[in-house]
Amino acid sequence: MEYSPFTTWLLNHGLSSQTLELLIAIAILATIVSFARYLFGTKSYGVYAPIILAIAYSYTGLKYGLVITAVVIATSLLSYSMLKKIRMHYITRIAINYCILTISLILFFVLINRFVLTLDNLQNIPPLAMISIAALGDFFTKQYVKKSLKASMLIVFSTIAISTIGWYVITRDVISTYFSNNLWIIPVLILANIAVGQFKGLRVKDFFRFRSITGSKENA
Amino acid sequence: MLRTRFKDILGLNRRNQEYIRPYNPPSAKRIADNKILTKRILRKEGIKTPEVYKLIRTKKQLEFLDWDSLPKSFVIKPNKGTGGNGIIIFYGKTKSGDAWIRPNGQTMSQRDIVLHIENILEGRFSMGSKKDIAILEERVKTDPLLKQYSYKGVPDIRIICFNKIPIMAMTRLPTKRSNGTANLHSGAICTGIDIATGITTYSMHMSPTAIMSDTYELLDKTIDLKQNKILSGIQIPDWNNLLEIALKCQKAIGLGYIGVDIALDRDKGPVVFEVNARPGLGIQVANQTGLRWRLEKARGLDVKSIKHGIRLGKNLFGGEIEESIESISGRKVLNIVERVSVYHKPAVSMRKRKQKIKVDKEIINTFMDTGVLTSRMTSSLANRIGFTDATKYFKSIEMPSNFSTLKDAQDYIDTQGKEIVKHEDILRLAKVVEDGKINIRPVIRITVKMLGDVKDIEVVITNDIIYPLVIGRSELSGYLIDTTKTFK
Repeated sequence: MEYSPFTTWLLNHGLSSQTLELLIAIAILATIVSFARYLFGTKSYGVYAPIILAIAYSYTGLKYGLVITAVVIATSLLSYSMLKKIRMHYITRIAINYCILTISLILFFVLINRFVLTLDNLQNIPPLAMISIAALGDFFTKQYVKKSLKASMLIVFSTIAISTIGWYVITRDVISTYFSNNLWIIPVLILANIAVGQFKGLRVKDFFRFRSITGSKENA
Repeated sequence: MLRTRFKDILGLNRRNQEYIRPYNPPSAKRIADNKILTKRILRKEGIKTPEVYKLIRTKKQLEFLDWDSLPKSFVIKPNKGTGGNGIIIFYGKTKSGDAWIRPNGQTMSQRDIVLHIENILEGRFSMGSKKDIAILEERVKTDPLLKQYSYKGVPDIRIICFNKIPIMAMTRLPTKRSNGTANLHSGAICTGIDIATGITTYSMHMSPTAIMSDTYELLDKTIDLKQNKILSGIQIPDWNNLLEIALKCQKAIGLGYIGVDIALDRDKGPVVFEVNARPGLGIQVANQTGLRWRLEKARGLDVKSIKHGIRLGKNLFGGEIEESIESISGRKVLNIVERVSVYHKPAVSMRKRKQKIKVDKEIINTFMDTGVLTSRMTSSLANRIGFTDATKYFKSIEMPSNFSTLKDAQDYIDTQGKEIVKHEDILRLAKVVEDGKINIRPVIRITVKMLGDVKDIEVVITNDIIYPLVIGRSELSGYLIDTTKTFK
């Protein structure tokens, strides 16, 4: 790949191309999360979770990433529902959730190996990417403890949706190459975030939320 | 009447940037986020809050908690909890005395409660999951009026105040789905309240079947009581006092934009549950109107006192009840004395246009009188709007000055009326009682605009009326008359 002089200079001064791409991906993903929140009203588990999830998906591939995510969420849901009736402290509950998750993922790999299920390449998935996805279980359980199942599931789905969009953006070679060669875009992203940060208009979600009011009469 | 437009609605982005950040200083937010501190400050100001039985700050304190000293019913709350998370209400103890009963009938043993308190202390329900304090406080005994509309729990009234003016209010009624809590996200019903009168208007709850959260469904009745009741038209007791309490809270805490949650206790009266530095926006749905235009109207006004703030709030934002009645009954609400536009006779308008005076109608304080059939108008108003010729003509006619009976007057109209009166503006003659005497007066047709409806009406010209124009019952079908107010 041909790089611009500045990027080449950076790569010759201690920065690997993979690290550079990853750092650019973080800036892009964080911007996607902020746009999704303030323009669309999409809630997610903060900024960190969608970034980590999108990067993990870029290592695992979307199909495998989503399957592992489904296993993590299903296990967390199941373990929390089972443990709900047992009196114990919160952190121990989370710890048990992780233990059950470990067992489920081991079982999952064995089952995939046994029945293939069109996921034959699962063994090549980097373990760190898988662990990053597993961390979603913690976010989910924390939310589920405080809010209803419906609310927690909605946030999980919107987090996954944002991560999927993020995954799509950061895995496009065109985008990645363009950003690597035009690093001035990073300050532009900062400016875009400043603009969104000062946006006072209604979020897309607000239009749905308040549509019943606009049908009513007013005495303004 | 205009429809609420999206630009009248307050969204989260604008709420945070235009109202919370500039008007709610961090020091005041810290107070509002801390229930114990809030209680202390409000009590100093003489505002009632639920009595605190115990504060548990450490596990050691929990270990040595004297359970027998607790009453049968109480509430556990995290000091820095959000969105009603971690709040548990106990209604009483089981017969065996070893467990407490929750609104849904479930019981919690002492061990369960200890575990819940430990979770509060660990910060499971607090903002930012920071270590917290558990509050064991008095359970408010709901006022009988609101009790009949709620499923167990304690209903509350939220009043949003800005710039020392009450802006919008709603009541939140617990349901079976909300498990006795007044939390809208859990399924409680929210009912808008007319700021001017304290009467409930529209009601809704979050749809249990909607996929998207924050999807509201309009309601007209309660949903899970043995006998469901209509929710609109409930007069919230002691309304002025509630508005005053809300404004006092705002002043005491120092929040420019505040949501005050007040419960009505059977014995103590209004009790402030908590104050909110970031009140939710669902109140707009309950009131079927936007907060933005109200906040913009209130911004920058010079409010001299609490009473002045209440007066401003009532005058600026009252009147939802009329719209609610209109939407339910299909009838518009007229004030007993209403401002009515009276159109000038076209010829006059033409003359005035020539004189470059752009007047073709004038607004008249008009009395709504269901005691008379035909509307009435003074001769001076008739002259002003272009019926001078008609009034002069009628004066010039020779006719008996008064009649001994209404029948005599009617006979006179029937036999000679049409022959005597030959003026294009005079439609007919009518008999009227003026100062105890029966007289005959001319009837003309004028055009008026009442509550946005333009209509031609017949009016008798008579000077025996206090207001320049009186609308009689023949023109009032399809309207309801509010006798509490003169005009908006």
